[in-house]
Amino acid sequence: MKSLYTVIFNDKSSFIGGTFSETKWLDIPNKSIKRIIYSLPNGDNLVLNGYLKYFHMCEAVTDLSGKNKGKTKLEFDYIMGKKDGIVTCYKININTKNIEKILYKEEDKFIEGLNKQGWIGKEKEEEKK
Amino acid sequence: MTNLILRTNKGDPDTAYGETGANYITLDLVTDYIIWTAGSSAVADGQDEPTQDELNQAYPIITTSDLKVAHCLLYDYSANKLEEVEGMGLNKRYVFCFSFDGATASEPQLEAWDDDGHDSVDNNVLGVETGEDSFVKAVCTTLSLPGADWAGDPIAGTDVLLLNNGNGALDELVTGETSQELYANIKVVIPANYDTPAIETFILCCRYTYM
Repeated sequence: MKSLYTVIFNDKSSFIGGTFSETKWLDIPNKSIKRIIYSLPNGDNLVLNGYLKYFHMCEAVTDLSGKNKGKTKLEFDYIMGKKDGIVTCYKININTKNIEKILYKEEDKFIEGLNKQGWIGKEKEEEKK
Repeated sequence: MTNLILRTNKGDPDTAYGETGANYITLDLVTDYIIWTAGSSAVADGQDEPTQDELNQAYPIITTSDLKVAHCLLYDYSANKLEEVEGMGLNKRYVFCFSFDGATASEPQLEAWDDDGHDSVDNNVLGVETGEDSFVKAVCTTLSLPGADWAGDPIAGTDVLLLNNGNGALDELVTGETSQELYANIKVVIPANYDTPAIETFILCCRYTYM
């Protein structure tokens, strides 16, 4: 199965991401990132380049009743990049394959509610310390 | 991937999952199901799976005052019997338990929709597209009791219940733990003199994210 993303670091090394069921996002080495190449459901690639921090999450829904009860369905996937207090968010509808680009401020409730462990990447200066 | 397990309390609704004396039923969501009912001798705790006729005879009847549906029963397929969800609608904290086996990327939330399309709330029970009129009321009890005579928040469509009390995502599990729990209490309240009797189903679902 094709990996969800590939991370290219500033030191020219790379990291191959996992799949929807095991994204490996939290296994990404903690160093500065040059770009992330994200594989869209339609087969195209989406490149996020030049951000300081990156975030990825899958949004799942588990029905507690109804004909699909018990099934966990993946509905959306998000890939984000943060720079200068602005978060550029790509929200990908897994079923329709539509992509919505949303700009958030860092202090927006949606962004503040995200798990801080999920932000990866390091400033070059931070890495030198 | 973080997984969700739903549990309902079958013991003391003042006892959290994992505490001494706790008695929760883990739902096999594929075969088990929840029934909101006025109850009857056949549709009651300990009885076997009710027939459609028995369910029809135990439907709540609209009255001149707001009516809280009296019982929430879990049909436990493996035991072939109905189990009362203890504490439903009462000032009890540990009633519906949402267990996560890992971190989440954002705060999990409880939602109600017409069906598994998750895109409409046309049913009367869900307020006919007006979320605040939903009969389904829920309260987050992860941190505290809901309070006596709690009203709860109507949930339907984009009117949702945050399950971590607005405190955001769940962190990684503490060493030695296999799950972390969020709690809610849920009830169905039929408005007084509601003029559209109906046989309706709706779905409850939990939306969550993982990294």
